[in-house]
Amino acid sequence: MSELQFTNDKDIIIFHILKFCLLIVMLVMVRPVLAIDVITHQSVNVSAIDTTQLRRIFTMRQQRWSDDTPIVVFVLPSQHDVHIQFATQYLKIFPYKLDRIWNKLTFSGLGVVPRKISSQQEIERLVRITPGAIGYVDKVSEGGHINVVKMSK
Amino acid sequence: MLLKCQSEHIVKKSFIQGGLFLGALLSFFSYSQELNNKSWQTHGFLSQGLINVNGTNFVTDNEGMSTDLTELGINASYQLNDVVRLTGQAVYLNGGNRFVEGARIDYALIDFSVFQNEHWLVNFYLGRYKNNNWLYSSTRDVPHARPSIILPQSVYFDGFRDIAMGSDGAALKISYSGEHIGDIDINVNYGASSLSRKDAKLLLGDSVSGKGEQEFDAQFSIYWQPEFSPWQFGFSLLDSDFNYQHVSTDMFTDAGFSFQQYTGNILYEGEKWQFSTEFFQQNFLLTGLYFDGFSKKSIGQGAYLQAQYQYSSHLSLLARAERFYVDKDDKNGSQLAAGSFGLVPHYFAYQNDLTFGVYYDINASLRLQMEYHHIAGTARLTPIVMPDAQRNDQEDWNILAMQLMYWF
Repeated sequence: MSELQFTNDKDIIIFHILKFCLLIVMLVMVRPVLAIDVITHQSVNVSAIDTTQLRRIFTMRQQRWSDDTPIVVFVLPSQHDVHIQFATQYLKIFPYKLDRIWNKLTFSGLGVVPRKISSQQEIERLVRITPGAIGYVDKVSEGGHINVVKMSK
Repeated sequence: MLLKCQSEHIVKKSFIQGGLFLGALLSFFSYSQELNNKSWQTHGFLSQGLINVNGTNFVTDNEGMSTDLTELGINASYQLNDVVRLTGQAVYLNGGNRFVEGARIDYALIDFSVFQNEHWLVNFYLGRYKNNNWLYSSTRDVPHARPSIILPQSVYFDGFRDIAMGSDGAALKISYSGEHIGDIDINVNYGASSLSRKDAKLLLGDSVSGKGEQEFDAQFSIYWQPEFSPWQFGFSLLDSDFNYQHVSTDMFTDAGFSFQQYTGNILYEGEKWQFSTEFFQQNFLLTGLYFDGFSKKSIGQGAYLQAQYQYSSHLSLLARAERFYVDKDDKNGSQLAAGSFGLVPHYFAYQNDLTFGVYYDINASLRLQMEYHHIAGTARLTPIVMPDAQRNDQEDWNILAMQLMYWF
């Protein structure tokens, strides 16, 4: 493959300007991916979880851990920034679709839905005290008595 | 005068019934936050709208703006133990002529968790269950969980609301989630709904004196969503029989109604765009009713195509086109008009609806929704057996509706 060859200084300047513009466009287009901590009650014996399983849990298709403990799911309100980010980046599902699934379960009598909690601090507190619980926050405020689960893929 | 007094009495009774339901709902709501814990869940919705129908008696017998667009609901779920859950929902509905006004139990059932692991969920439901076989059948009265205020009448005919909503009997749901296959849901149910005299009058006409009964309702559906796919595909079957027993003062004879429906649906849920379609064919056999030995068979068809665009996190737009034919061999209604000696106009053989709508989420639990329908044909107006051609003397008509809804 032949390398780029510039015949004069003008071409070199144009090349650098284009490179700079491309960099700016990429910086604008790529949204920052903020880390979210997926947290479970300390009794939950799961250190890593993949997107497929996380999705099953939050769409209420898996309701028990592998040791048969019932899973208690806590979520933030649908329009909360952390919820939107968690749904789209961690569950690979749009928040309105989660609402549709939960509405169908709630108003058809077919099943139960995650408990909606207004603040991250409250989710963290509830996950600490509820056996089998799972939730998410943008950052766990303090360690101990809670598991932060790694995303395995 | 007597009619006026009866009418005022009915309005007063409806007002009291709606008020009592609203009072109970609000007091229940005040406790719901405390009640929601590991075993209990409570949810509900309140909505009130304005609706103006121009050209037919779809909602009211008189034209003009109406407030007959009230939907209130409350449900509760209690996890008794690891296997058994008790749940129920009550609603109060007022949709004018669309369905019988009043409070009713939507579902009240015992949910047995038969089997579950990481991939499988099998539940058996006993009691009054909801029809979960079509895209919006289980949320057709839940304002914030349906795409429009008035759903496509071809599939979600309001006249059949109380029969189609659910049945008393048993239901089974099998869900599987596999890493390569995706999500599969199978629903099977068998039961029957009780038909009130008001329901019979709504479907057959005011001159009905006898009693209608649903003998059985059997339904099956399967849904498949490939893993991480925006697409979902579904198919459902319905088989149901009804009978009608006349009384001596009746203008009708005993009758039997046999009904089978095959429905397919496709749903696409992208980031900004959602598309959905449902298409069906229904076989209908009527025996008796007009005179002993009478028999009529027809094959109806219907479909809609719907697009929704999420303009922003608060604002969503909707457009939908729908077609419905009572008899696929008489799509323009010429045979219907000829067979009734012109008493039933040809446009009672079809109903085509073009809908445009918008909703705005004021916050996470409050929504304002508006829509406009332009409709050609009157096949989905009640009563269906003895159509009211005098009040509905236009082929083209329209609906303008607005609804404010709150849910928790």
